[in-house]
Amino acid sequence: MTKSVAQVQPGLQNALALVDLSEQVLPVWERQLVSSCQHSEEAVRQMLAAFDELGPHLDLAVRQSRDITAALAQSEGGMTQLAQACDAVLQPVLSGCTPEAVEAIHRVIAMITACVDALENIAKPFARETQIVSLQVDRMYEGFQYQDRISQMLTSLHQDMNRLQQALRQSDTSVNATKWLERLAATYVMTEQHQQHDDTQGAVVDDGTTFF
Amino acid sequence: MAQTIMVIDDSASLRQVVSMALKGAGYEVLQAGDGQAALALLDGRKIHMAVCDVNMPRMNGIEFVRAARALPNYKFLPVLMLTTETQESKKAEGKAAGAKAWMVKPFSPASLLNAVSKLCLP
Repeated sequence: MTKSVAQVQPGLQNALALVDLSEQVLPVWERQLVSSCQHSEEAVRQMLAAFDELGPHLDLAVRQSRDITAALAQSEGGMTQLAQACDAVLQPVLSGCTPEAVEAIHRVIAMITACVDALENIAKPFARETQIVSLQVDRMYEGFQYQDRISQMLTSLHQDMNRLQQALRQSDTSVNATKWLERLAATYVMTEQHQQHDDTQGAVVDDGTTFF
Repeated sequence: MAQTIMVIDDSASLRQVVSMALKGAGYEVLQAGDGQAALALLDGRKIHMAVCDVNMPRMNGIEFVRAARALPNYKFLPVLMLTTETQESKKAEGKAAGAKAWMVKPFSPASLLNAVSKLCLP
């Protein structure tokens, strides 16, 4: 059915108003997008710099924890064996001692045993804590890398906005929505981008290493 | 002496993450922001391996692999492609260019270090 001039006129006016709006709003969106991207990159850069400073301290804590655990666990000359070693050295001379001296020696050995137990009780959670910290550090390494994905997705949007502005400026009459979307999709590098583009949900399988 | 690994990525934060993981494991790291800058660093110095992004301005990772392999001193330089790129065709292109492995970001430090230990020249 053919539309009358009166019907077409408001439609044209609306279309022109939308073009005008797009021409004005797209550069604004573009600037905000670029700024967000820069902020996000700077935030990650600063967090990484701080994290880099923490690295040597964390390494030192991990090494110390390992050293303490190793020193405690040594079967000969280790801290755990100290009380038994003292006992073994003192046992042969106990028979020649007065009951008071024997009692005093047993009390000293008991104190050494208590000290060693206390050290073990401190060292064990320390080792566990440093293990947990190491695991969290690995997670942070992975987390920081999402900035790269964000950056790629925002760059893709930025470039497409730029293209749209150019098309509007040049009043490009050859613009075709299907072709436009196909061209946009061809620039994607991640499965996730394709899924977002098509509005499909699926397990993201972007992982793993392939050796050639 | 520590082995030297070249990290090539246009994202400064990603270069930082990779460098931190490698330095933490005792490697020395050289950084470049794209393939062309990386190529300029291949000046005869000993480099044991490169970890390289695919999509970069000026010279992309696959072009870099081809260019590096054309240099007599770096003909056998092992290159691990570290990328968000998942297209099989790109992966095949990387393999044909001479890359030794393809790892998708985000990576875990353990998987990166495992791949590096397998590929790094002695």
